[in-house]
Amino acid sequence: MTVLVLMDSSEASRQALTLARKFGEPVSMRMDAFQPFAPEALAHAAAEVDASAIFAAGTDRGNDMMARVAARLGLPLAANCVAATPGDPVTVTRLRWGGSLLEEARLHSPRPLITVAPHAVPADTGPAPPEVEPSTSVEGVQVSGHVAPSNGGVSLAEAKVIVSGGRGVGSKEGFAIIEELAGLLGAAVGCSRAVTSAGWRPHSDQVGQTGTKVSPDVYIACGISGATQHMAGLKGAKRILAINSDPQAPLMLNADYTVTGDLKEIVPAISAEIRRARAGRTS
Amino acid sequence: MLTADARAIDTTHLGFTMSPHEECGVEEAVRLVEANKGESVVLTLGPAEATEQLRDAMALGIDRAVHLQTDGQEWDGEGTAAALLEAIRADEAANGPFDLVFFGNESADSAGFQVGIRVAYALGRPCVTGLKKVTLEGSSVRCEQEVEGGRDVYVVPLPAVLTVKEGLNLPRYPSVPGKMRARSKPVTVSTPARPAPRLELVKLAVPAGQGRRAESLGSGAAAAPAVVEMLQKAGAL
Amino acid sequence: MTFSALIALLLALAISATLFGRRALKLFTLVRSGKPAARFDDAAARVGAEATDVIGQRKLLQRLLPGLMHAAIFWGFLVLFPTIVIAMISAVDPHATLPWLGAQGWYASLVDVFALLVLIGVIAAFVIRKVQRPARFKGSHRGEADLILGLIAGIVVTLFAWHASQIALGLNDYPASWAPISSGLSHLVSPVAAPLERVAVWAHVLIILSFLVYLPYSKHLHILVAAINVYFGRTRARGRLEPIDFEVPEQDVRFGTAQAADMTWKQMLDTMSCTECGRCQDVCPAYATGKALSPKLLIMAMRDNLLSGAATPVVPGAVSDDVVWDCVTCGACVRECPVNIEHIDHIIDLRRNLVMVESRFPDEAGTMLRDVDRTSNPWGKPQADRMQWAEGLGVRVLRPGEAAPDVLFWVGCAPAFDERARKAAVSTAKLMQEAGVDFAVLGPRESCTGDPARRMGDEYTFQRLAGENVATLNGAEVKKIVTTCPHCFNTIGNEYPDFGGRYEVVHHTEFLAELVREGRLSPAPSDRTITYHDSCYLARHNDVRAQPRELVAAVGKPVEMARNRERTFCCGAGGARMWMEEKRGRPINQERVREAVATGAETLAVACPFCTVMLDDGVRETGAKLQVFDLATLLHEAVERGREGQ
Repeated sequence: MTVLVLMDSSEASRQALTLARKFGEPVSMRMDAFQPFAPEALAHAAAEVDASAIFAAGTDRGNDMMARVAARLGLPLAANCVAATPGDPVTVTRLRWGGSLLEEARLHSPRPLITVAPHAVPADTGPAPPEVEPSTSVEGVQVSGHVAPSNGGVSLAEAKVIVSGGRGVGSKEGFAIIEELAGLLGAAVGCSRAVTSAGWRPHSDQVGQTGTKVSPDVYIACGISGATQHMAGLKGAKRILAINSDPQAPLMLNADYTVTGDLKEIVPAISAEIRRARAGRTS
Repeated sequence: MLTADARAIDTTHLGFTMSPHEECGVEEAVRLVEANKGESVVLTLGPAEATEQLRDAMALGIDRAVHLQTDGQEWDGEGTAAALLEAIRADEAANGPFDLVFFGNESADSAGFQVGIRVAYALGRPCVTGLKKVTLEGSSVRCEQEVEGGRDVYVVPLPAVLTVKEGLNLPRYPSVPGKMRARSKPVTVSTPARPAPRLELVKLAVPAGQGRRAESLGSGAAAAPAVVEMLQKAGAL
Repeated sequence: MTFSALIALLLALAISATLFGRRALKLFTLVRSGKPAARFDDAAARVGAEATDVIGQRKLLQRLLPGLMHAAIFWGFLVLFPTIVIAMISAVDPHATLPWLGAQGWYASLVDVFALLVLIGVIAAFVIRKVQRPARFKGSHRGEADLILGLIAGIVVTLFAWHASQIALGLNDYPASWAPISSGLSHLVSPVAAPLERVAVWAHVLIILSFLVYLPYSKHLHILVAAINVYFGRTRARGRLEPIDFEVPEQDVRFGTAQAADMTWKQMLDTMSCTECGRCQDVCPAYATGKALSPKLLIMAMRDNLLSGAATPVVPGAVSDDVVWDCVTCGACVRECPVNIEHIDHIIDLRRNLVMVESRFPDEAGTMLRDVDRTSNPWGKPQADRMQWAEGLGVRVLRPGEAAPDVLFWVGCAPAFDERARKAAVSTAKLMQEAGVDFAVLGPRESCTGDPARRMGDEYTFQRLAGENVATLNGAEVKKIVTTCPHCFNTIGNEYPDFGGRYEVVHHTEFLAELVREGRLSPAPSDRTITYHDSCYLARHNDVRAQPRELVAAVGKPVEMARNRERTFCCGAGGARMWMEEKRGRPINQERVREAVATGAETLAVACPFCTVMLDDGVRETGAKLQVFDLATLLHEAVERGREGQ
C-alpha cells in the first residue's frame, strides 16, 4: 500500500509522515514542486498519484492543498487529526475549537485524505521517503506576486521568545512596558483578541485560534486570562510564563510558570532585573 | 461541558456568535457593496436559532439571508458544501450570478477547512484561501494570503470564491437602527435533507491538559529575579 | 407734561415689550419644538419643589454665604416687584401711585429693608467675584455677570434716589417714618430733590425696561426659566434614566441627541436655565482631576448650540467626544445645581446617539459592550462560571420551577468574575447563613443587569437584558432582593419597574445593618480606625447613608473624610468608566485615596465592588498605607471575633 505525503521542509510535515507510515509505504511530493506556488496544479498532480491514502501537515497550505484534492476527487477529508488508525472504516481523532475539544470520528472513504495537526505527533526520524515528481501541469490558481512584511520586527510565527499582552495591560500606551521587555529579550510582541478588538494593536500581533499560532521556546503572557481561543494558539509553546493578578485565570492554571500580581509593577521589574544581570556580567 | 451522550457541547447558558473569520467575510461583503453598488446575501446551514446570526449579519448591512434549516444534527464538510452549493445555484438561477462568494477559512468549531474549496470546485470558479486582503481590480480580484516571510499575492478573474481570515478588516459595531432594520429584512428558509456523513462523528472528548505544572515564581515585582533565572535556564537571555 | 410722560412711558413699554416678546416667543417656540418628556405627573411633588427650591432657595443655601447673597437679591426682588408698577405710574404722574399698597407703611418698610438687602447682596456678589475669585467661575461669562449685577445695583440705587427725593419733596403717599433709609437719604438729596426725583424715577423705569429686553439674550433669563425648570424637574428616583421606546417605527425612535433639535423640551429648558454659577464644575470629579469635562461648560455649550439654530451634530461640533465620555454619572453636579439642571440626562442622551447610531465610542468600551451583548456579562466570561465564587460555601442555587426564597441574593457580575470583588459576596453569604436567612442565588441564570450598557448609552442592549432578567425574576416569583452592588441595586430597584419588574430591593449594608440591629448578628467592636467611602449610587442617587455607618460603628472607630455622605467624591468607575482608560489628568481613584489617607484611618471601608477595585488600585498605585475592605468582610471578621470572645 503506497501512501502519498505532501511535504515541505517543516517539522509538521515530518509529523504527518509519522501517521502516514501506519497506512503504508510512504512516497512524498514536494509542496513547492511548482514555482511559483500553484495549489491547483499540485492538487491535480497529487490526485493522479496511485496512492491508497494521502497525508499532509495541517498547516494553512497543507489544509488548502488537501481540500483541493478532496474536492477534485469527490472524497471526504479529515483535517487536523492528532491520531489516525487504518481500518474499515478508518478512525481518526481530530481537533475542534483549536484543540480545546477532541472529536473521534469514522472516515468512510476508499482513499483516506488526512491532514495532521502540528505539535500533536512526534516527527518522523527515519529516512526521507522517495520523491514523486508531478506528472502533469495544469492551469489554475497560482501565486502572481509577493509582498514583504511591513514591520521590520521579529515575526510572531517564527519568534523564539514572545512577550504577549492582554486586556490586563489596560491601554494602547500600556504596551510600552511589554515592548520594552520584548526589546531586551529580542522577542516578538503578541497580544490577545481582546486587545485587537479594542484597537490597541494590529491583528498581525494577535496570537490564538484565529490569529497566529506560535511555537516559541518561551511565551510570556501578561494580563491575559487565557480564553480557549487564545490557548489554541499556544499549543506549540515550550514554556509558558503567565503573569496575572488573578491566580485562578485559565492561563495561570495552564502555564509552566506563574507570577501573581500587577503586571504594571512586575514587567518593568523583570526588565530592570535583566539590565542588572547584564550589567553585572560585563563588569 | 459535554452533553450526556458526549456528542455535543452542552449549550445551556451559552450565547452564540458568528465565527470570527466569517464575521470578517460579512464585513468585507458589506464594504464591497457599499463601494460598488450591488446586493449582498448571507447564507447559513444550521438550526432554527442560527437566524440570530443571520440577523446580526444583516445588522452589519447584508441585504438578505438564506437559511438552510437543520434539526440540530451535525453535518460534515462534504454535506454542508453540497447543501450550500444547491442553495447558491438556486439563488443564482433566480437572481443572477454572484461576483464573489466569501467563506471563512475554517469554522471556529469543527474546523474542517474544506467547505469553501468544495463549493468553488463544484461551481467551477477559482478559489484562494486564508486571505488577509482583498482588492477589486476591474473584473479581477487581487488577494493577499499570509505565508512565512510576508504575503503571497494571487490575482484571479471574477466570478471567484474566496476564503478569508480574521484580520482582513475590523468589523463595524452594528448600529441600533441597523439592528432594527435587520429584523424585517427577508430570510428565505428551506430544509434540505441530511446525507449520511462520510466523516462521521462518533463522540467528543475533553483533552487531558498538556501537563504544565504552573510552578509559582512568586508574586509582585519581587518575583523578577526568579523570572530572570528561569529565562536564563531556558536560553532566552 | 403728564400727557407727554404718558406717551413716553407707553412708547418705552411698547418697544421693550415688543423686543422682549419677540425673543421670548422665539425661545418658547424652540422649547415647544423639543422632543416629548413625561414631566406632567405628580403635581404635588412639583409644587413642593417650587416651595423648597425656588422660594426656599434650598439648593443655593447648600453653600451658605453665596446662598444668602442670592437669597437676599431673590427675595428682595419678590418684595420689590410691585415697586416697578408704582414707578411706572409715578413716572407719568408724580402724585399718583398704586391704590392701597402705595400708601402702606409696612410695605414701605419692607421695600426699604429689602432694597438694602439687595444692595448688600450685590456688593457681596462683587466681593465674591472680584476679591475671592472662586475657581467655579472659570469659563463663565464674567463680563455679562458684572453687567447684570451692575444693572441690579442701578435698579436699587435709583429706587433709593427716587424714594429719597420723593420724601424730600413730600410726594410720598406712605408715611415717611416707615421708610427709615429713604428718609435718612432724603436729607442728603433735598437740595436737588426736584430734578433728582424725575431723573431717578425715569432712570429706574428705563433700567428695568432695558433689563427686560436684555433678559432673554443673557443668562439672566434664568429668573423666568429657572422656576419653570424646577417645576418640571425629576420627581422619580434620581438614579433612574428615562427609557427609549423602541416599539415605535424605526424612523420615529429617538436615539438620544445627535443635534440640538433632538433634545427634549425639558433639556432645552435646562440649557436656558443655566446661570453659569459653576457649582457643578466645582464638584465634578472629572473636572477636579484635569479632564476635559466641566458640567457647566457642557450645558453652556449645549445652550449656545441650541440658540444658534445649527443643525450640525452636537458632537464633535459643540461638545468634544472626550467631554461626553469623561462623565462618571456620579450626580454631584445635579445635586449642586440651584436650578435643577439634569446634566446626566444630557450626557447619556449624547452617548446614546454616539453608541447606538454612530458606533463612535472608546474602543476598549466596545469590547465590554460586545461581551455584555454576547455573554451577558461585561467580563466576557462564560455564564456557567458564575458560581465559582461560592465554591464550598453551600449556597443554594435556585433552579427553574423551585419556590422563591425569602430573599434572593443577586450576586452581580463583579463578584462572580473579578477576584477582588469576590470577598464581599463570600462574606455576605456567610453572614446570611450565620443569621439563618433563607436565601438563594440565581447562579448561571443571572445576567448582567445591563447597567454598564445603559450608562454607556446602549439602551437597546440594556432593555434586552432587563427584559430577560425581569422574566427570570418574575418567573421565580421573587419578592425581595439583596445585592452587594449599588449599581445592581439602583438598576433593579429604580429602573426595572419600567420593564415590569417590581421587587423590594435592599443593599447588603442595609440588610446586614438590620440583622445587627435585630441581634441576629453580633459583631465585636475593635479599635481599628475606619473611614467609609460612600458610593455615589448609594449615598447620592439613593440616599443610603446611615446604615453603612451603623456597620462601621459596630466594627471599629469611624472617622469621616471631608467629602462624605451626599457630598461623596466618586471612585471613578461609574458611567461605565470602569471599562475605559483615563487618558488625561490625574486618576480619580488616586485622588480619593489621598483623601482617605488624610483621615489617618487604617482601613478604608467600601460597599461596592467597583469602589473596591478602583480604590484598591488607587492604594497600590499611590503606595498608601491603607487596607480596602468591603463592609460585609469587616462585619464578618467582627462577628467571628465576637464568637471567639465568647
